[in-house]
Amino acid sequence: MNQEKLMHYQVDPWNYYMMRVRRRRMEEEDEMERVMRIVSESAVVIFSSSSCCMCHAMKSLFCGMGVNTMVHELDQDSKGKQMEKTLMRLLATNSTTLPVVFIGGKLVGSMDTLLAFHVNGSLVPLLKQAGALWL
Amino acid sequence: MASQRIGELDFSEPYGIHHRINNPSSSLINDQGSGFDFGELEEAIGLQGVKIRNDETKASFFTGKPAATLEMFPSWPMRFHQSSIGGTNNKSGGESSDSALSSKNENPFEPESPLSKKASSFCSSDQLQHLQLQQDMTNNNDVIKTASSPKSAHEKRKGGGSTSDNKPLDAKTLRRLAQNREAARKSRLRKKAYVQQLESSRLKLTQLEQDLQRARSQGMFMDWSGGVGSNISSGAMFDMEYARWLEEDNRLLTELRNGLEAALSDNEMRVMVEGYLCHYDEVFRVKGVTAKADVFHVINGGWTSQAERCFLWIGGFRPSEIIMMLIQQLEAVAEQQIMGMYGLRHSSQQAEEALSQGLDQLQQSVVDTIAGAPLVDGVQQMVVAVGKLANLEGFLRQADNLRQQTLHQLCRLLTVRQAARSFLVIGEYYARLRALSSLWASRSRDQTIITSDENSCQTTTDMQMLQPSHNHFSSF
Repeated sequence: MNQEKLMHYQVDPWNYYMMRVRRRRMEEEDEMERVMRIVSESAVVIFSSSSCCMCHAMKSLFCGMGVNTMVHELDQDSKGKQMEKTLMRLLATNSTTLPVVFIGGKLVGSMDTLLAFHVNGSLVPLLKQAGALWL
Repeated sequence: MASQRIGELDFSEPYGIHHRINNPSSSLINDQGSGFDFGELEEAIGLQGVKIRNDETKASFFTGKPAATLEMFPSWPMRFHQSSIGGTNNKSGGESSDSALSSKNENPFEPESPLSKKASSFCSSDQLQHLQLQQDMTNNNDVIKTASSPKSAHEKRKGGGSTSDNKPLDAKTLRRLAQNREAARKSRLRKKAYVQQLESSRLKLTQLEQDLQRARSQGMFMDWSGGVGSNISSGAMFDMEYARWLEEDNRLLTELRNGLEAALSDNEMRVMVEGYLCHYDEVFRVKGVTAKADVFHVINGGWTSQAERCFLWIGGFRPSEIIMMLIQQLEAVAEQQIMGMYGLRHSSQQAEEALSQGLDQLQQSVVDTIAGAPLVDGVQQMVVAVGKLANLEGFLRQADNLRQQTLHQLCRLLTVRQAARSFLVIGEYYARLRALSSLWASRSRDQTIITSDENSCQTTTDMQMLQPSHNHFSSF
């Protein structure tokens, strides 16, 4: 297979480049699918890091509201780095983004968007709709 | 001129012409002295300019000149030089600086008197020097160079005079003259470069001074990448910026109050309320920017009064407290609005709780890192602790974000007039808190010295300050 690749590169550089691009795109799509699969499993999914304090704040917020959340500690996951990169791509930002929360399988965002939704009064209906909150 | 025979002197034509043409220029030179005006000389020299380029003519001319004639017109060769200098001056236009001109003014006159002394030594060797000088001038456009060329010409003449050799093409003399020329040219170029450098750095200096003055007077607080105020700490800059924000705040609140009393239309009030919200957005933005440079100053509230600092929550007010105060103070609020405000208070309480817990965990983590460091070499731990402290900025940002969102939501819940009144209530509350701080400070100062009677008198002015604002407060 490597021999093939080498020959491709020597013979047809453009095709080789396109092959690499396609493969990276497939990997990215795989990652995205994996993330989507994870977030659809629970009503509220938080991607966090065990040492991050803002992640702890977010977890406390949901606890205080009486919401059960599924937490993925990315620093303890083998594919954590790749998932973090995927999340960064989703949020269209270059800086470290944790924590990131998904409600009802849909992306909500980082801590500031979550707080804005909460102050707005739109967080509770969203949680109820996702089935994370019963009142 | 070509027809002139050696040994003969034809006074009529060549001398006459030169003499006539020389007169205006000579009169110019004599009259104006240091204020040498080359512009006027131009016309006079224009005619001579034609003659300058005619080397051969001059050569033959000088060969035939006996000493007696020279004594009659001792300065004539110098005039000739000056005119030729003026000619090349015209060529090289506006390059000359004032210094060059003034130096040029001295030079033309200087060689004049020694030249008259040397008149007797003026021989065919001068012809050679003239040739070389003319070649120099046609080759070189440098004005400063031509200013010194009379000097060098004078030197050449001296040199020429010292050699009793009549042969014009003496190799040693040639070499010496060439070296002299080169040295003179180099020094002139160096001087020009130095002067230009001085000028440019002078301009830069004045510009820098202007910038500094402008920055100091305005207390500018732009992005830190510019490096303005490198001597002023970011904390001090923020204090100045906050003081200005407070003045603006007072102005806007007075406007709101006047607007309410004058019963302006809803649209106009809405504009003012939006403006006030932007005013608050501005202070949050500035706090965010300062926090990147000095997070402790903002979070510890170094920019607030003492009483404010006591009740501070992550570098600012606690939104739930403000909402509670508004619920109690505002009148004429509908049931639905009160419910909404209670809901808002509840949400902000939950958010505050979450952020406080996050901050507590950060503190715990930092303390553990530092306390757990080995005595001898804890550098690694310190680095980790510093990294953890960087999260403080994030917490401050979230806290300010929460405050901002709370204020915006408040404006959405209430009518325009109610929103204006609530801003006035908040502003009033903080003004009283600041007055409380100053009261407290003066009370503890006076307590040790003065009796209780005088104590109350001392504090009257502060009380009076509170009175009118109290009236406004109760009217809401």
